[in-house]
Amino acid sequence: MPTTEYLKIPQERVAVLIGSKGTTKGLIEKTTNTHLEIDSEAGSVSISAGEENEDPLSVWKARYMIKAIGRGFNPEIALKLAGDEIMLDIINLPDYVGKSKKALTRQKSRIIGKDGRTRDIITEMAEVDVSIYGKTVSLIGDMEHLQVAHEAVEMILNGSRHKTVYAFLEKKKQKRRMKEFQETHKIADL
Amino acid sequence: MAERKEKWGVANVYSSFNNTIITITDLTGAETITQWSGGKVVRADRQESSPFAAMEAASRAADDAREKGFTGLHIKVRAPGGNGPRTPGPGAQATIRALARAGMRIGKIEDVTPVPHDGTGRPGGKRGRRV
Repeated sequence: MPTTEYLKIPQERVAVLIGSKGTTKGLIEKTTNTHLEIDSEAGSVSISAGEENEDPLSVWKARYMIKAIGRGFNPEIALKLAGDEIMLDIINLPDYVGKSKKALTRQKSRIIGKDGRTRDIITEMAEVDVSIYGKTVSLIGDMEHLQVAHEAVEMILNGSRHKTVYAFLEKKKQKRRMKEFQETHKIADL
Repeated sequence: MAERKEKWGVANVYSSFNNTIITITDLTGAETITQWSGGKVVRADRQESSPFAAMEAASRAADDAREKGFTGLHIKVRAPGGNGPRTPGPGAQATIRALARAGMRIGKIEDVTPVPHDGTGRPGGKRGRRV
């Protein structure tokens, strides 16, 4: 079944996608059983399914991995996307802050926080990986965790105070732990 | 190879954060063979979009399709699109995997999320969503 997908990534990320002597590229090809063709000048990538490929989702997964690397993730984190439950979420900043360059850098700094504090808190509380690169904020993680993290980032972008966002994350974490506890102890929710 | 007739259809998968809807049609897309959704297989509203519900719905849809003589399915995945999220929800991957496991052959997989060439404004207004 010849399925081919094309996508483009920023030029400076091409080197990361290929890796030293093609190690990263080889790793992606091996884990997803696909074949990658990279044009390092234009930054365009074509993904085709490998021979005797059983899994119909492999091309999709490879595409998300490459997209993640293009959005600033390091390859080790991008390879987490091989898991079934793990997804990639990209938040386009100009949708929230408009075209102004000043506003963009300001909001990016707000998401990162002093010495990366806010970003670390989001990473830890929502159990997602965060990458802030160019005009996007990208998140990798479990579906449920992603929704929480997405909402937290949105709150910051809409002007909430950091304190409020931390409290929100704390509350969600508490709730999630409660649910996990109930599930492990087989307490039916009412 | 023994002579065995192949009959292909299209599985239209709409996967949002709240539900997963699977509509299997013939190749023209005009004749619906079967329709299943996450809401038809689970009781609780919040589980409609879960991968489990999507898997269950997909395997039942595959059963229906097989009964009608279909052996393979092309897949069109769609997220809400427009002003909403443009990445398919959690049910999309589960659906495709379940269809494959139910013995259907999987042809082309396509993303048909509607993307505006600059459409209407996002909801929320100038001052954002106020809770």
